Amino acid sequence: MKHTLLGAVLAAAVALPAFANDYMIMAPAAPGGGWDSTARAMQEVMQAEGIAGSVQVQNVPGAGGTVGLAQFASTASGDQSQLIVGGYVMVGAILTNASPVSLADVTPIARLTGEAVGIAVPAESPIKDIKQLVEMMKADPGAVSWAGGSAGGVDHITVGLLAKAAGIDPTKINYVAFSGGGEALAAILGNQVTAGISGVGEFLPQVEAGTMRMLAVSTAEKWPGTDAPTLVESGYDVNVQNWRMVAAAPGLGDEQKAAVAADIDKMANSAGWKALLETKGWANTYLAGAEFDAQLAKEVETTTAILKDIGLVK
Amino acid sequence: MTTFDFLLQGLAVASDPMILLYALIGVTLGTAVGVLPGIGPALTVALLLPVTYGLDPAGSLIMFAGIYYGGMYGGSTTSILLNTPGESASIVTALEGNKMARAGRGGPALATAAIGSFVAGLLATLALAFLAPYVVKLALVFGPREYFALMMLAFVTVSAAFGDSAMKGLTSLFIGLALALVGIDQLTGQARLSFGLPELLDGVEVTTLAVALFAIGEALFAASQGNRAGDSITAIKGSVWMTKADWARSWKPWLRGTAIGFPIGAMPAGGAEIGTLLSYAAEKRLTRHPEEFGHGAIEGVAGPEAANNASAAGTLVPLLTLGLPTSATAAILLAGFQQFGLQPGPLLFATSPQLVWGLIASLLIANVMLLVLNLPLIRLWVSLLMIPRPWLYAGILLFATLGTIGMNPSPVELSMLLVFGLLGFLMRLYGYPIAPAVVGLILGPMAEQQLRRALAISQGDWSTLVSTPVAAAILSAATLALVVPWIMRIRGKGAVLAQLASDED
Amino acid sequence: MIPVLTATKRRPDGAALIIAAGLAALGAVLVREYAVIPDKGGYAGIGSGTLPCFIGFGLFALAAGHVWTAFRTEAEPIARPHLGPVLWVAGGLALQILLLRLAGFSLASGLLFALTAAGFGKRKLWVTVPFGVGLALVIYGVFDRLLNLKLPAGLLETLIFGG
Repeated sequence: MKHTLLGAVLAAAVALPAFANDYMIMAPAAPGGGWDSTARAMQEVMQAEGIAGSVQVQNVPGAGGTVGLAQFASTASGDQSQLIVGGYVMVGAILTNASPVSLADVTPIARLTGEAVGIAVPAESPIKDIKQLVEMMKADPGAVSWAGGSAGGVDHITVGLLAKAAGIDPTKINYVAFSGGGEALAAILGNQVTAGISGVGEFLPQVEAGTMRMLAVSTAEKWPGTDAPTLVESGYDVNVQNWRMVAAAPGLGDEQKAAVAADIDKMANSAGWKALLETKGWANTYLAGAEFDAQLAKEVETTTAILKDIGLVK
Repeated sequence: MTTFDFLLQGLAVASDPMILLYALIGVTLGTAVGVLPGIGPALTVALLLPVTYGLDPAGSLIMFAGIYYGGMYGGSTTSILLNTPGESASIVTALEGNKMARAGRGGPALATAAIGSFVAGLLATLALAFLAPYVVKLALVFGPREYFALMMLAFVTVSAAFGDSAMKGLTSLFIGLALALVGIDQLTGQARLSFGLPELLDGVEVTTLAVALFAIGEALFAASQGNRAGDSITAIKGSVWMTKADWARSWKPWLRGTAIGFPIGAMPAGGAEIGTLLSYAAEKRLTRHPEEFGHGAIEGVAGPEAANNASAAGTLVPLLTLGLPTSATAAILLAGFQQFGLQPGPLLFATSPQLVWGLIASLLIANVMLLVLNLPLIRLWVSLLMIPRPWLYAGILLFATLGTIGMNPSPVELSMLLVFGLLGFLMRLYGYPIAPAVVGLILGPMAEQQLRRALAISQGDWSTLVSTPVAAAILSAATLALVVPWIMRIRGKGAVLAQLASDED
Repeated sequence: MIPVLTATKRRPDGAALIIAAGLAALGAVLVREYAVIPDKGGYAGIGSGTLPCFIGFGLFALAAGHVWTAFRTEAEPIARPHLGPVLWVAGGLALQILLLRLAGFSLASGLLFALTAAGFGKRKLWVTVPFGVGLALVIYGVFDRLLNLKLPAGLLETLIFGG
């Protein structure tokens, strides 16, 4: 019995990566979050598809990813085998934390996945559509309390952009930050706040069960799985996507950068990656090359502007 | 099929020998990583999840359940033996458990923790199976004002449980509250007391403070005392197993711990720490052996350990019924479930009952395996304490830093261990209690955030705090708990003073 | 404790005064934080700075309490510490912080092990250092290689376990 047990433990252990180190992916967050699961998903697919012999994931949590980003920028320079996962939240965190290191100090490769931000109310709420909610805000911004994720994050930014687009002073929004999606959702379900704002994926199961009503989504196009209108359709010029990306080390030559980009491209187009996105419920919003660079530059600009308007960045 | 049939079916699948073996491997691996101080169940599951990829669905689900339970129980073992809490929920276990271990009663402490975890896990998993839809309705009644009231109740009862010298206890508590302010303010994104260091923006990790104050402070203090008496460690005194008296003193705390831990764990912002703290306070108040508290009372291990495990099952209530991941552990569990095609949400029980019941059956089996693995190991664990002091303490320090290094090997994080270790040393030297500082760090931010959330929603109207029956009732209970002992003391001043005089040591 | 009946000339309790000064200093840092934080609360009426201010004043009160007892009561006898051993152990921790990135987990932790043992009277470093490094290597092997927990690698780890 003892021997079989030991054998099984060893067999399980040997299945783990233990040899060559082709890629080291830094997840600048604690295990369990979106960036960590993105990094681990990449690890799984790159190994399974034979794109890399061995892939390791390293977690460096802290301050919206800026601690990991700073460490990555200073230690990985010129090293083609190092990658870092990041996302829109990092853009905001770099600004609100006045981080000395920004995305310009690494080599962004591609956007991998993304999700729309949804605006929802409890099923028993008298509010029927997004216009009604915005009119309530116009009348008395303080009376409309919003439950969402951490201050300065994508949810907060979206409410700020919506207020601005509707001609409401963004500093007057009554945004109540909760620690995580789950806690915010509980506050909405428990009728503690007027409206909630969070990733569409968190709301969809509730909408299906009839406990919540989705009023709008934040992306340019309608989001699969819901017929809620986009904010643009409703007359508010807001287009936000909570995306995740992968970046390579700073100081890479053009050839090195192309090699990394090719590996990522291979991964993003593999059947394994698409299947994995399906199980995780992530939308494929793959975007690479010059288009991604341009998109990123634009987002940094609008985010800086809105964070200043909300008063989170001086 | 009825609920019960589904459960039996799940158990039948899970009783296959191969499946049981997977459960045992999962429990073993989970315990191995979970013992590291600072590495809680969330990280353990995240690290070990890939191990389950290669197996068939039933096997991987059960191994996953085993890893989860193993990671949770691993923290208690080191809390008791080495005074290094593996995770924030087993901090309370260290208080009495380590005192017991040093007095040669490590065996009964580990046993009551293991059996208590088992009993609580069993009852709470059954409660999850049969009561989840009702419990979750109650849990949703709790909004910011109710949580604030609950935090106040926790503050009052817990500080009463630690309040031997009011001023020293309060000093310790306020140091904890001050440390809790470090980092980004959750509600506004404003950085506080971070002194320009990005590593401080995420604040002081509870386990870092607990490991530093408990284990490192303790080691420094023991070193400073040389070979003087009073610090000797007895590995085994009396039976390694629980005696009849131990059983008699343990079973009620197990049940009470379960009753406290499960509902609080089920609340979206409850968490395991509050449950363990309240259970400790309750046991201290109800015990027939108050003199033993602070010196190794078995009730102080049995209750909080049961509460810890029950709250873990409680966390699954909002996760499975509403799809709400309410803690880091729950978030990682959610990721794990998705691996098995389980999409937690309001319709889960209706749309995929087989998977849910398979999971619940797996949790029950993993729970049994944990007991099977750990009871025979107790003698081995306890004999660790026979290692001569220099080697033992050297090992403890190596181990205490290992968790932090594995979690976040930044010099700032390790320097915190050193600085708080020195703080713990000084606090011990001058007789300040350690636990209130940790309590302040845990409860302070929760109370602050809930208060400010409640006030933001009511636009600054303080009467919101008592505007619902639940919030008003809990706040009144907290006020009573604060005022009644005080009035009793004034009315019975003579008697109390006499008792105090005879208590002096 | 036996009541002290003979009224000796009491000296104020020095340690309590130092602790009072420390608490007051910490309180001052917190109250200053209230002054510099711009956010005054928005709709809640209590903002990021309110709680630091409240706790800061609490610390002032505790500092005052310490001063009061320092002059009123006899200093409690403390278990007089030997500082040498404390320095060994604290030095071991400091050394580990310094060496972790440079020399890797095993060397840094092995030295922590040896210095701690030295603090507890086992001064034979030629025994404890190799033992500590060996133990740390085993731990590295088990946790980093088998259980996927990333630990900082140095020359020694690379030599033994490969890249």
